[in-house]
Amino acid sequence: MPIRSPIEDEVVALFEEFRAPVIRYMLAFGLPIADAEELAQEVFLSLFEHLRRGKSRANLQGWIFRVAHNSALKCRLQLRRHSDRFVYEPVLSMAAADPAPGPEETLAISQWQQRLLSVVRALPEQDQFCLALRAEGLRYREISEVLDISLGSVAASLEKSLSRLMRAEQT
Amino acid sequence: MQREPVHLSEKELILAADGELSVRRRAKVNAHLEACWSCRERMRVIETTIAEFVRARNAELNRQLPPAAGPRALLRARLSEAAAATPGSSFWQFPFPAARVGQLAAGVAFVGIVLVVLTVFQSTVSAEGPKPRLGITPGETRPITVEEVCFYQRAEVVSRDIPNDMRQKVFAAYGIKPAQADQFEVDYLITPDLGGTESIRNLWPQPYSVRWNAHVKDKLEQRLHELVCGHQLDLQTAQRDIAVDWIGAYKKYLGENPSH
Repeated sequence: MPIRSPIEDEVVALFEEFRAPVIRYMLAFGLPIADAEELAQEVFLSLFEHLRRGKSRANLQGWIFRVAHNSALKCRLQLRRHSDRFVYEPVLSMAAADPAPGPEETLAISQWQQRLLSVVRALPEQDQFCLALRAEGLRYREISEVLDISLGSVAASLEKSLSRLMRAEQT
Repeated sequence: MQREPVHLSEKELILAADGELSVRRRAKVNAHLEACWSCRERMRVIETTIAEFVRARNAELNRQLPPAAGPRALLRARLSEAAAATPGSSFWQFPFPAARVGQLAAGVAFVGIVLVVLTVFQSTVSAEGPKPRLGITPGETRPITVEEVCFYQRAEVVSRDIPNDMRQKVFAAYGIKPAQADQFEVDYLITPDLGGTESIRNLWPQPYSVRWNAHVKDKLEQRLHELVCGHQLDLQTAQRDIAVDWIGAYKKYLGENPSH
């Protein structure tokens, strides 16, 4: 039986921790869930190569999301090029279109929460990415690196998004 | 005249909630919050909004996530493959450096097409029979020319057995228990004689006891081989058709009803 390397175990442990956050983030690009799942595999295979080559271990969470972001962008571009069927539809918007949500799901998402999600859908794409990355636990510095924007832009984006969400609560 | 109290800005409150203030500024903000009921209430609204948003987002997205066991097993298998390869040359790269760049580009484009069309396919043929799962088996080809495809007699090429450890990896990726394994044949999605690889990305468990089974797929593979070698069909189209929807391809090239 082949011996597993410690790096394989480490990557699988990171996969356990970050698979769901990475897929949730990639769904913000409007990718089908199956594509997001496949891309997540590619992200962690890239991570394996990264670690095997002895490259930096500093902030692996940020590294994972940066690769996920770039992969999702490329995949979306490719889907748009090769299919006129692909329509950008962030997955949060599918909630309202779900023809038959189960009773538990109906209870789980209140009207107020639906309103919050609809406010998010109306945000510019970059603001949605900022918000999604923050929701997955990334700090401002990490978000700025993933999206390749300034720290000030991240702060301004989150302030704008949260202000809109709070206004939705007050209306 | 009494000075109007200066309240914290919304930006400052959000930065404080996110722990993004400097130590010195944070101390001042905390001192202000202790003294100012109004700003404390505003801070509470921010925290509540964040909590509600996160709850709504997770409720909406988490229900769409498939269970982790299958993807985890697949990743394990792919990591084993990658570990066995030379560091720096991942398992999906091609073995011929001179041709690698062009072939890789063609491969990426091909996989992209497969991803798109297979997504559509998954929602349309599920009632007709078994199908490979896109996330596990998108189909993968090695660089091969038509001349190479047609140089060998088909039977010589396809007689390669799939190693048992690879079969186990495929079963694990698809969540098939050992007790059920004898009900399935681990089959190539794109047959090797059309350039399919022996990677787990090109292997899937096909049930024996269904109408559209491995024997039927063999007929299709034979037909595609004949068409390619007869210059009636280009190799890339044959690869794509069998990867995207092999049952549809059978109907297209051999007729509506499967022949065993």
